Amino acid sequence: MAASKNNDLVLHTEEVVKNFGGLTAVNRVSMDVKRGQIYGLIGPNGAGKTTFLNCVAGVFAPTSGKVYFLGEETTGASADWMCRRGMARTFQISRPFPRMTARENVMVGAVFGAGGNGARSPEERAEEMLEFVEFPWDPDVPAQRLNTVQLKRLDLARALACNPELLLLDELAAGLTPHELDDIMAVIRQIRDQGITIIVVEHIMRVIQGICDEVMVIDYGTQIAEGTPDEVLHNPRVIKAYLGEGH
Amino acid sequence: MEQKTSLADALRETISENLAATIILVATAVLAVWLGISAGLSQVIISLVTGGMWALMAVGLALVFGVMNVPHFAHGESFMVGAFVAYFVFTPIRDYLAQNPNPALTAVAPFAGMIAAALAGAVLGVILERLLFYPLRIKSRAGEWVMNAFLLTVGISFVMTNGARLLIGATFRGIPGYWLVPPLEILGTRIAVDRVMAFAIALVSIAALWFFLGRTRTGRAIRAVSQDEVGAQMMGINLNFIFPLTFSLATAMAALAGASLLFMFQAYPTVGLTPLYFAWFVVMMAGLGNVAGAIVGGFIVAVFQTATQQFAGIAWTDVIPTALMIVILLVVPFGIFGSEMEE
Repeated sequence: MAASKNNDLVLHTEEVVKNFGGLTAVNRVSMDVKRGQIYGLIGPNGAGKTTFLNCVAGVFAPTSGKVYFLGEETTGASADWMCRRGMARTFQISRPFPRMTARENVMVGAVFGAGGNGARSPEERAEEMLEFVEFPWDPDVPAQRLNTVQLKRLDLARALACNPELLLLDELAAGLTPHELDDIMAVIRQIRDQGITIIVVEHIMRVIQGICDEVMVIDYGTQIAEGTPDEVLHNPRVIKAYLGEGH
Repeated sequence: MEQKTSLADALRETISENLAATIILVATAVLAVWLGISAGLSQVIISLVTGGMWALMAVGLALVFGVMNVPHFAHGESFMVGAFVAYFVFTPIRDYLAQNPNPALTAVAPFAGMIAAALAGAVLGVILERLLFYPLRIKSRAGEWVMNAFLLTVGISFVMTNGARLLIGATFRGIPGYWLVPPLEILGTRIAVDRVMAFAIALVSIAALWFFLGRTRTGRAIRAVSQDEVGAQMMGINLNFIFPLTFSLATAMAALAGASLLFMFQAYPTVGLTPLYFAWFVVMMAGLGNVAGAIVGGFIVAVFQTATQQFAGIAWTDVIPTALMIVILLVVPFGIFGSEMEE
């Protein structure tokens, strides 16, 4: 497998398929994500983007196809193993540990993730990550009392505390105001500048165009286009998928 | 938002947010005081000892439900195993010491039985989880797990009680006491050393568990799994370590309860039923999966039990608290301290 041995590829998937009963949620998706890229994954609601991420991150085992992470086959590996190998993610709907404080939430990532705390204690690392994402609140507040914007930042800090090589961001920008969008885009770029490769699943075109190096579009579980954001957004199949047959 | 609120504010907030818990706690306190005045301090101390043990049992139930979503109806059999192990480890040592007196050894011998029981419980917990719950979890589809796990625990309970009857026999095996020394005088009341020790053991174990869950790396992982299983996995937490560990802890605590109460409950195959019912009573009242609630709940139930015995007669011991539970569940279905299920 020449491609899988290529060290420039952080993630390489070959024809990943995921069936739920009779429904094919992901249909033969092959993706190559190079080190240092911000890779966009877009598509209409229900296109299978999150399911694909779940197959990659070990939440589901793919029905068929192969996943290679950092040059090693990881098809069907468990989510905790993937995390310790260096893959972290945020969720479409933030899912913090509700009865832990914000700080404790991030500490869980720092303690159990892929390591790399160096000489710092998990507390220090949690503090640092919360500062990095500009967490706008008292870190000793239980997570269940935070609002959406605060939770998104907490989710991001927690994922970063896992010290990932590859970070999967599932609709991190959903529900944010234009001003907050600029902030979060700046934060994502800074994360990339630290050497972390990023896959973003996003609906907001401004974010895709603003930060992504390469984009893949999937519709009904099938990949229909790949390329730079500009190429992809002018692709007739993509326009049709987003706007319907009439256009 | 203001950082520090006064104690009075915090109290007011708790009362208004959680009326049911406040009423029950106040009622328990009143009942305990009334018990102390009318029946003597010994009744209050008996409530504390029983409460400690119910708490020790209930904490395991709450933990197993909170972390693994297992409604554990074989928890009483862990109690039974603990009682038997303690009996079979302690009595030979006691008989040996009767022939060869050694005061120092006599004082610590009971601990040998209890530690053996706790270790046996821990091992049993790992075996049950790996051998039965793990394969069932792999094979269960989403939404089926709780019912499947429930049926599995009922099955385990049947197999273990009947297995014990077959292998060990249905005879009652008890001891007159672990420490056969004169009772202690506490605030003018005489109370058996065994009871004091049982209470101390319950408190120390619960405190140790509390510290473990709250302050250690692994304890934090257990709490993370109980709050969000998938999220915890995504943070690199291995469920195949956390689940056996949790089950093992719960089983060990129930076995320790069985061992340290051997002087009260003799060891026999179905000895676990009463502790099981009361532990369930505690967690249902406190809120399923709520570990802190289970600790407080253990003492509340014990006070109700002792008060019922004292004021209504021993025949009512199980009737009144159980009826009370039904009422509590009708009024606050998620328990007075709130449950995991509520979210």
